[in-house]
Formats: sequence, C-alpha cells, structure tokens
Amino acid sequence: MANSNGGKNLFSLISQIGGPSVIFFVMLVLWQVIVILLKVPQAILPTPLVIIETMAKHWELLMIHSWPTLSECLMGFGLAVVVGMGLGISLAFFPKFHNSVYPLIVAFQVVPKVALAPLFIVWFGLGTLSRVLLAFVIAFFPMVVNTYAGILSTDPLMVRMAHSFNANRWTVFCKIEFPNALPYIFSGLKIGITFAVIGIIVAEFVTAQKGLGYLIVFAEGNIDTPLLMAAITVLSVIGVVLYAAIVALEKMVVTWDVGQDLH
Amino acid sequence: MTEAHVRVENLRKTYQTRTDEIEAIREVQMDVAEGEFISILGPSGCGKSTLLMIVGGLLPLTSGTVAVAGENVSKPRRDTGVVFQAPVLMPWRTILKNVMFPIESLGLREEEYIDRAHELLEMTGLSGFADNVPSELSGGMQQRVAICRALIHNPNLLLMDEPFSALDAMTRDLMNQELLRIWEEYKKTVLFVTHSIREAVFLSDRVFVMSPRPAVISEIVTIDLPRPRELAIEETPEFNEYVAHLRGLIEH
Ligand SMILES: Nc1ncnc2c1ncn2[C@@H]1O[C@H](COP(=O)(O)OP(=O)(O)O)[C@@H](O)[C@H]1O
Ligand SMILES: [Mg+2]
Repeated sequence: MANSNGGKNLFSLISQIGGPSVIFFVMLVLWQVIVILLKVPQAILPTPLVIIETMAKHWELLMIHSWPTLSECLMGFGLAVVVGMGLGISLAFFPKFHNSVYPLIVAFQVVPKVALAPLFIVWFGLGTLSRVLLAFVIAFFPMVVNTYAGILSTDPLMVRMAHSFNANRWTVFCKIEFPNALPYIFSGLKIGITFAVIGIIVAEFVTAQKGLGYLIVFAEGNIDTPLLMAAITVLSVIGVVLYAAIVALEKMVVTWDVGQDLH
Repeated sequence: MTEAHVRVENLRKTYQTRTDEIEAIREVQMDVAEGEFISILGPSGCGKSTLLMIVGGLLPLTSGTVAVAGENVSKPRRDTGVVFQAPVLMPWRTILKNVMFPIESLGLREEEYIDRAHELLEMTGLSGFADNVPSELSGGMQQRVAICRALIHNPNLLLMDEPFSALDAMTRDLMNQELLRIWEEYKKTVLFVTHSIREAVFLSDRVFVMSPRPAVISEIVTIDLPRPRELAIEETPEFNEYVAHLRGLIEH
C-alpha cells in the first residue's frame, strides 16, 4: 500500500526480517554444532565462530581488498546502468534502430560473459579497466532488456490518452513511458548489481592483483580456509548491502501497485 | 442555424491491415450544434470508436472532411477533451495530478488551473480523494476522474467513448445522472458513444443510429424529453416509446 503510516511500515519490516533472521541464526548454530561434533577439519569447513574470529584478526586485510572490489563493482554497474538504459530508451525511440540492433543484443546475451575475462586481459591488461569492463558487459544486458521491455509494456490506450491532450513524443516518454518502465528498470538494477559483483569477482580471480576475489584465490592457495570463508562473508555482506540499497530506492520511487508479474 | 460545431461530411474510413482492407465507415454525415448532447448508438464493432477518434484527431480519415469549429481536424485539438472506455489513469500519480495532466501536456500554467481541478473533483464527489492514488478508487470513481481530466482545460467539445460500459448497472445510472448535471453546468458539446439504447435516450438531445459495419448513419432521432432529466424519467411512457422506436431501428 502506498500510503500506510510509518509505524505500520516499521512493524511489517520487523516481521519481514524477523523470520529469516531466526532461521539464519539457527542454521549458524547447527553449523557450529555439527562441525564440532563430527570433528570436521578447519581446512575443510571452519565453524562460524572461527570465521568471525578470522574476520576480526584480518579485518584490515579484508578492508584493503574490499574497497577495490566495491568501487570497481560500482563503476562497472554505473556504466551498465547509464549505457544500458540509454540504449534501451534509444531502441524504443527508433524502431528502425531496434530492428537492426535488438537481435544482436539478444544474441550477445547468450554468450557466457565471464568467458571474455581472459580476452579482456589481453586487450586491456591486468588493471582496473579489465575488471570494470567485465562487470559492465555482464550487468549491461539486463539493463537494456528491462528498460526496453518496460517502455514497450506501456498501455497503448494511455499513450493515445496523452496524445488526445496534445502530448508530444518527449512528454509521452517522460510522463508515461518512463514512469511505466520504472518497475522493470528496478528489476534490471537488481539483476544488474548481482551480475556486476559476479563480474568483478571473476575478473579478480583472473587478474589476481587485488580485491576480495584475489584474496579468495590467495587464501585458497595457502589452504587458509578460514580466511577464504571470511573473504566470502565480507563479499556476501557487500552484495546484500548493494542489493538492499536498490530495494530501498525502489520502495521510495515505485510507490504504486504494480502487476503481480513483477513482484 | 449558425455554423455547426462539429461537421462530418462524406466520411469514409478503411483500415489497412497486412492482409486486406477493412471498411469501417462507409459514409457518415453529421452536423452537431454548439452545446448539443449527441449520442452515437450502434452495435459493437460498427465503427463508433473509429468515428469518435477521427473527430478527436487521433486517427487519420480515408476520405471526406471532419471540421470542428469550422476548422478541418487533422490532429488533436486543444479545445477537445476525450474520455475513453477505460479510465486510463496513471497509477503513479495522485488523483489531483492525474486531473492536471492535460494542463502539463498542453503547456498551460498549472497555478491557473489548480482551483478548477479541485472544483471539478468537488463537482464529481471526489474532493476527499485528491491525494489518493487510482488503485484506491472504485471503477466508477476512476471514470469520474477521467471526466474531470477531460474537462480540466475547459474544452468546448467532449468526446466520450462508451465511458460507462465497464460499470455495473446501478453505478452506470448514477454516472449518467451525474454526467447530465455536469453538462447542464458547463454546457459543452458532447459526442457520446454507446451501445445502450436507454443510456442514449436518457442523455441525448439527438441520437445518431449507426448501421453495422461498414457504418452509415441510418437514422437521426430527436429526443424531445424535458430537461433537466432525473432517473425517474425512465419510467415515463414517452421515454419508453423512444427506446422501443430505437430498438426497432436497430433490429432492422
Ligand atoms: N486498427 C485497426 N485495424 C484494423 N481494423 C480495425 C482497427 N480498429 C478497428 N478496426 C475494425 O473496424 C471496425 C470498427 O471498429 P470500432 O470503431 O472499434 O467499433 P466500435 O467502437 O463500434 O465497437 C471493427 O470491425 C474493427 O475490427
Ligand atoms: Mg468502441
């Protein structure tokens, strides 16, 4: 509901988060107990408490490698958002353009983009550029496709209504098509940010310079499984925070009821 | 008689599809005076919407002329307001902002029309809903918003395409009564498309009867019932004579 009051929202938020949190906590406890009971070696699976301990001990190291991962991820994602939405909008504006470009986009979408990582290293080296570009190409496709699909899903009768009040192409886009596309665009953003994180991590595996992906490979090389798990934990937290930020923004922007297919 | 407000002459409309041509309107003539309430009555698929959209400048015609206020119509006019079969409200806007949409798209000054928006909402019993969103309103209320939106820029001509056909019978009666009240108040020329005979008789000064596709105007019936009209008029013998007469025309 769009206009429910703050107290109600807070309550529903707590009840929404409450259930999963309890289950998550129970899982951690089970994990801890089972690993200890079965005497699983630390190099195979450390306990949650050991991972937390390791995180505390190596906090600085983890942070040093988190920042490049976070910043490069945001750069790749940001680029994907700008270029992807731009192209999605252009496709809707120029039907001729659509006919020649959209089949290519669909074809490229099928290419497993992570396979491009070695190629990007050959072209762009081992630095930030390669990693950002890999995140970009992965996150780019859901942005284009969702933006375009969102605009296309506009009710033609609503466009006709706007025309009946002398709306020009630009007004129709800004006041009808773009708001109509917003729920789709947010779906694209949510998929895109997830993809961008994957892109950066894979690129960090391959370039092996810095970042949490690099730290994971490094820890694995030293059979330091607690550090590996600590890095995965930090990475997961980053992923969840980025995703949650987009969901929060979506809640602020898309306040109207959207057809069920999008939820 | 002075110059007609809406004049349609020798109108023909064929739709071009990929495989063939569909002749929707064969030959339509219409003369509508300023301030008249006209219903266009005909079976579904006969070309009523097509005719209305052409008068609204939203569809190109094949041949003939359509003139509003003496000027040929080729694109939507600023002095026309259209109400469609569905309310087509923007779900992301409040009711007030929906009503104000034409002011934005026509490039008019919003401050000058905001009072009128509130007045129209008041008039249609929606003054408490200005800040609600469309999904919080019933179908009848949403269609009233669409009527307010069509009137906000003070058009002289109101085109209505089966605006109440999606509503239940009781709501529809109320809406018809309300529409007449609005019409008495603002005195616009109205072209009202319907396939309900009773609705056409209740509302109109004249009813244009359309034949099945390809459409021609087969008959024009003047409804000589006193105004202002209340729902009780539907019980009078005169009213029912008109209904029976029109039914006879349509069934032939
Ligand atoms: N865009 C279109 N292309 C082809 N045929 C159409 C199109 N729009 C309407 N028609 C046809 O024209 C005829 C009249 O349609 P319409 O004006 O919508 O009828 P009504 O409003 O009286 O139900 C119908 O047979 C319909 O199938
Ligand atoms: Mg129709």
